[in-house]
Amino acid sequence: MNTLKTLVESIWDQVDMVLGWHPGYDPLRPVPAFVRDRKDIASLIWNPLCAPNLSVYLAKSFKTPAHGEKKIGILAKGCDSRSLTALIQEGLVDRHRLLIIGLPCPGTVDPEAVKSARTQSGPITGVSFGDGWVELMCSDGVERLPLDQVLARRCQRCRHPHPVLYDVLLEDAMPRPVPKDPFAHVLALEEQPLEARRAFWLKELERCLRCYACRNACPLCVCQDQCLAESRTPKWVTQKDTVADKFLFHMIHTLHLAGRCTECGECERVCPMKIPIGLLKEKTAQIAMELWNYESGTDPVARPPLLSYDASVTGL
Amino acid sequence: MTRTWLKDQPYRPHMAVIRDIIEETPAIRTFRLTWKDPAVSATFSFQPGQVGQISVFGVGESTFVINSPPTRREYLQFSIMRTGEVTRALHQLNVGDTVGVRAPLGNSFPYATMKGRDILFIGGGIGMAPLRTLLLTMIDNRADFGEIMVIYGARTPEDLCYRYEFDAWRAAGVNLVLTVDREVPGWTERVGFVPTILAEEAPNPYNRVAITCGPPIMIKFVLAGLKELGYEDEQIYTTLERRMKCGIGLCGRCNIGGTYVCVDGPVFSGKALRAMPPEL
Amino acid sequence: MERETAMKSASFVSHADLPGLLVRLAEKAELWVPAPEDTAPHRVTFKPFQAGMAIDVQRLPVSSAKKLLFPQGEELLRFRTDKSASDAAMETVLSEKTTEARPTILFGCRPCDARGFVVFDRAFLQGPSVDPYYKARRDINLVVSMVCPGPDAACFCGAVGSHPADTQGSDVQMIPVSGGFVLHALTDKGQELMENLASAPSQAQEQEARQVWESVRRSVENVASLKDSARHFPKRFADTAFWRFHTERCLSCGVCTFLCPTCYCFTITDETDGVQGQRLRSWDACMFHHFTQEASGHNPRPTKAERFRNRVGHKFSYFLEKHGQFACCGCGRCLRHCPVSMDIRAIVQAMGETEEVHD
Repeated sequence: MNTLKTLVESIWDQVDMVLGWHPGYDPLRPVPAFVRDRKDIASLIWNPLCAPNLSVYLAKSFKTPAHGEKKIGILAKGCDSRSLTALIQEGLVDRHRLLIIGLPCPGTVDPEAVKSARTQSGPITGVSFGDGWVELMCSDGVERLPLDQVLARRCQRCRHPHPVLYDVLLEDAMPRPVPKDPFAHVLALEEQPLEARRAFWLKELERCLRCYACRNACPLCVCQDQCLAESRTPKWVTQKDTVADKFLFHMIHTLHLAGRCTECGECERVCPMKIPIGLLKEKTAQIAMELWNYESGTDPVARPPLLSYDASVTGL
Repeated sequence: MTRTWLKDQPYRPHMAVIRDIIEETPAIRTFRLTWKDPAVSATFSFQPGQVGQISVFGVGESTFVINSPPTRREYLQFSIMRTGEVTRALHQLNVGDTVGVRAPLGNSFPYATMKGRDILFIGGGIGMAPLRTLLLTMIDNRADFGEIMVIYGARTPEDLCYRYEFDAWRAAGVNLVLTVDREVPGWTERVGFVPTILAEEAPNPYNRVAITCGPPIMIKFVLAGLKELGYEDEQIYTTLERRMKCGIGLCGRCNIGGTYVCVDGPVFSGKALRAMPPEL
Repeated sequence: MERETAMKSASFVSHADLPGLLVRLAEKAELWVPAPEDTAPHRVTFKPFQAGMAIDVQRLPVSSAKKLLFPQGEELLRFRTDKSASDAAMETVLSEKTTEARPTILFGCRPCDARGFVVFDRAFLQGPSVDPYYKARRDINLVVSMVCPGPDAACFCGAVGSHPADTQGSDVQMIPVSGGFVLHALTDKGQELMENLASAPSQAQEQEARQVWESVRRSVENVASLKDSARHFPKRFADTAFWRFHTERCLSCGVCTFLCPTCYCFTITDETDGVQGQRLRSWDACMFHHFTQEASGHNPRPTKAERFRNRVGHKFSYFLEKHGQFACCGCGRCLRHCPVSMDIRAIVQAMGETEEVHD
């Protein structure tokens, strides 16, 4: 059985750097780490708090390989590995540049869910994990919570906790079971009448700040600096602070991800106003499944169905 | 600098009508505007170097140096290169159309300190626009200045602006040195990049002020060339530009370090440039 | 300075009487309070007060209160373009939308939120120009802040020249005591607001308030100021390797800017239907790629390294030089809500930590 450190050490000579996570200022929020020095491997951690999807940096920050460059090592949970696969499918990242360290995932913790589930109120000073539970340490003592109670929504409906693409795999990790009804959240919303759904989205989107965190955190939104939703020529969305404009931005964003989104849920995680925008993209994923039996980011050579209008390319 | 009429409503443009449009080059048009409101005409004043934000309502605003001198108040002139959204819209306007103008904004050339000295203008392409303002002001007060030399270059003869004025400048006693990048049949003036011509002419720095404006690459070599000729930072002036919105030092966009180009500029001495962080 | 203003009037409001106080305040002006979201009670934001609404002054509001005085979208003027009556040319007529600024009271914010308005005042009222829209709102706005119940791991008001009992930017300050709050008027506006609002505090309550205030103020005494590190910014500016290293995980979104009580950058855009339209002022962020993008194609801040450097420079160097204080109130929102926990405190501190300049 390997551990994270031995695994990274074992591939170190093949890579220029490893993208992983290390502790941040808050015990509940590890941050992306860019390890270029062997001695920094020791700082890497892997636990259910490691939420950020590291593949976001690949097509946006590390686009162009320098001459003679080795590979980039990247730690990938199930969802992250789907994003990597989708980037490869669209030719945005070269498979040969990557050394994917697969992490079977028990699910990630939502720090906000921890806040509401806790009974203690002191600042959390440490966190530890066991099989199906998370333990919080604070000045008032120790509190143990079932992992299922504090999981992010995206993990509750995750169909691929085991990485779909990897070069090496962390063996001492157990992925969580796949839900029987993975589109349950989408379906639950759809059961409501149209007016109720409309009211739901108008209320939720009212809080939107147009901060574009959702867009910038999306690994597939490589066009973020020339985003259509911010374009002035032509102009689709105005700068008016109305729910109509916010709605339009989210519609544009969702439709641009239709048939591409791998449901990693980063958009929803990073939203400072906690709007469940992941649901919109999950709906498009459900449609892709229904219409074309297509699941983005599961097969690196599959053609995304909406990549081209040319039927000979997509087979549609 | 008279800015009182903008004081209470600094975002509100005054309306101006396009009186004339001159096609300087395929991409550059000069617009001559007259104020709609005679009260504005009567009280408006500005100093050479100051800029205006021109509105095409529905499209937006863009910043241009006031290109006519304060000594000639018949119209307000702006030379505009078609580059982006607003300038494209401006180029589609016709004589008689209305635009908005918020002016004067920014600082001006330290005109008073230039009196009694020799003046050297070095311009490239559309960079001649801010230089023209100061040049004509000086021509209209010719006795206050010593030798006035202008080195002005562009890619081709058709890319030079204000060609129709060159004779008048020379007649006013300006030593006008024109240059284009390459030989062109029928071209009898100089050939060579502006920094090269500067080195060839080598005007000495004694009691002289140098003002330069043009493409960033030209500025870079001109500044180096001036240093080589012995010019001190305090003798050199240029104008900088940045993407601007409010134009009044509030929106936080046009800063280079702690300096706001819309308020502390666009005119900067070589000394001020050197104090700026390398964020050009 | 702060203790002198305590010579103005004081009141006491019990927990039970607080809802009644809010109703009375809401009669005087549009009242904004920190209130929980119905679907997520632990998330608090500033909302317009409605009778019967539960307020929460214990939790840190997610977003700042700046939208009260600086709305995210604000009309500057209106225009209409038609064929002119006299000739064939197009004529545009401007009209100023007379947005009547409504009197507002911000109740129950923290000293860091109130201090955000001090930065706005310096930028919009004491700078090279006065912003008439901000001024109109600010003139008829009152801030009733509350001494901070306690920091979290992201808070750092003590490091930026403030403390959790700071009165700067407030017209009235509330101090939690046994059974309720003691309110102190700090300005003339605050004095006027408190007239006949509630009964005076007892001597014991006043004493307790003073003790609470002192102890809260002293709670950050040992927090190191960022001033010493911030001094190093000009030297550190050209150290591109430093900025690239420290900004590597940044996503260039606008969360930090839009939640920040002191960020005031905006853009101006025209929105039209072809005939009539409005010139709009709206929030913008120096973290966005387009912020300094020029029509020529040149961008002086093409990557997040330069943009974050500018953020640090603006808040901890340029503003400090112009106005004598950081353009930062230490509320920690930028850190708390950043998708990747970008820590501006750590970066400012790192500026002064090594003499070496990477190439």
